Amino acid sequence: MSNIDPKVLRHRVESINTLPTVPSVLKRLSAVIEKPRITIVEISAFISNDPALTTKVLKMVNSAIYGFPGRIASVSHATMLLGLNVIKGLLLGVSVFELMQKTMSGLYEHSLACAIASRVIAQKKGMKEPEEVSVAGLLHDIGKVILTLEFAKEYEAAMGEAQEKRISIFEAEKNQFNATHADVGSWLAEKWRFPRNLVEVIEFHHRPALAKNAPMEAAIVHMADLLARARGFGFAGENFVPEINPMAFELLKLSDQDIQDVLQEMEDNMESAEDLS
Amino acid sequence: MPKFSVNQLEPGMKLAKPVMAKNGMVMLGEGTELTEIWIERIQDMDIHTVFIDGPTVQTLSMEEALSALDERFALVEDKPYMKNIKKIVKQHIEGLYE
Repeated sequence: MSNIDPKVLRHRVESINTLPTVPSVLKRLSAVIEKPRITIVEISAFISNDPALTTKVLKMVNSAIYGFPGRIASVSHATMLLGLNVIKGLLLGVSVFELMQKTMSGLYEHSLACAIASRVIAQKKGMKEPEEVSVAGLLHDIGKVILTLEFAKEYEAAMGEAQEKRISIFEAEKNQFNATHADVGSWLAEKWRFPRNLVEVIEFHHRPALAKNAPMEAAIVHMADLLARARGFGFAGENFVPEINPMAFELLKLSDQDIQDVLQEMEDNMESAEDLS
Repeated sequence: MPKFSVNQLEPGMKLAKPVMAKNGMVMLGEGTELTEIWIERIQDMDIHTVFIDGPTVQTLSMEEALSALDERFALVEDKPYMKNIKKIVKQHIEGLYE
C-alpha cells in the first residue's frame, strides 16, 4: 500500500516549475501559460522567439490531428485560427511529447491516436470546436508524464503491479499513490488555467459520467482512449482495453459504421503523425 | 501505404501523402507521380522518408495481431457493449490484411 499523502503529492505536482526532473523548456512554458491574462499576441511571440518550438508547432497544426493539413504557414496565423486554449494545449503537447518518449515508450503514439480519434468523433457529433476536443485527447494522460518523471520508481512499481495482477494502470496508480494520473493531470490543467471543460475531460476521462460541464467531451475522449487501446496503438501503462462507461456510450450514440470510420481515420493518419516529434 | 527512404525513390512512384517541408507546408501534393526531377528536389530537402501508394506491410502476422487483440480485451469481454466494439475492431484489423 502507498504511503504517499495526496496533499503532498498535489503540492509536488503543482511545484512543477521548480522540480529538478522537469526540463527547462517545460518550466518556461509552464510559467508563460499560467499567467492569468496572457494574450494571443504574447503567446505568439513566445513561440516565434524559439525556432525549434515554432517548427514543432507548425508541424503539429499542419498534421492530421487538426483539420487543415499543410495550410498554415505562420505562428500568428495558427494562433488566430486555433485560439488561445487550443494553442496552449498544443504547446504543452509538443513539449511533453519528447518527455513521453523518454519516460514511457509508446505513450506518445497512444496520445496521438487518441487525439485523432477525439477529433473524428467530435466532428461526427457536430461539436463546435473539434480542435479543443482533439487537444483534450492529446493531453488526457499528461498526469502520467509528471508521475513517471517525478516518481519513476513508484510508477515502475505501479506498472509492474498492473501487469502482474492483471488490473488497469488506473487501479494500480491508486494503490501506489492514493491518486491517479487523471487527478494529477487535472491539478496541472487547473494550475495552467485551462478552461473548465478541458480540466474536466482530463479529470474524468476514466469516469465520464461525473463530468458536469463537459459530459460530451469527456465521453468522446473516454471512447477515443478506449479505441486507441483497442486497436493497439502505442502503450499507456498496460495493454488492457478498459471497460466502456455505458452512460457515455449511450450519450455518444455511435453507430457501428461511425466506430469503423474512427478506426480507419486513426489507421490512415497514425503513420504520418508519428513523424511529428 | 509504405514509407520509403528518399534514396529508394524511383520515377513513376506515386505519393500517398503530401511531401511537407519542416514547417509543415506542402511542397508536393498527394497523388503526385514522381519524376527524376521531383526525386532530386525531394533529396535536396531535409527529409528522410516519404509515403508511396501501395499496401502497407504489417509488422505482425494476422494471427499474431488477432491473438494480441484477444489479450487486450481479456478483462472486459462480457461487459456491456464490449463484445460489439471488439467485433468491429476485429473486422478492422482483418481488413488490414486484405
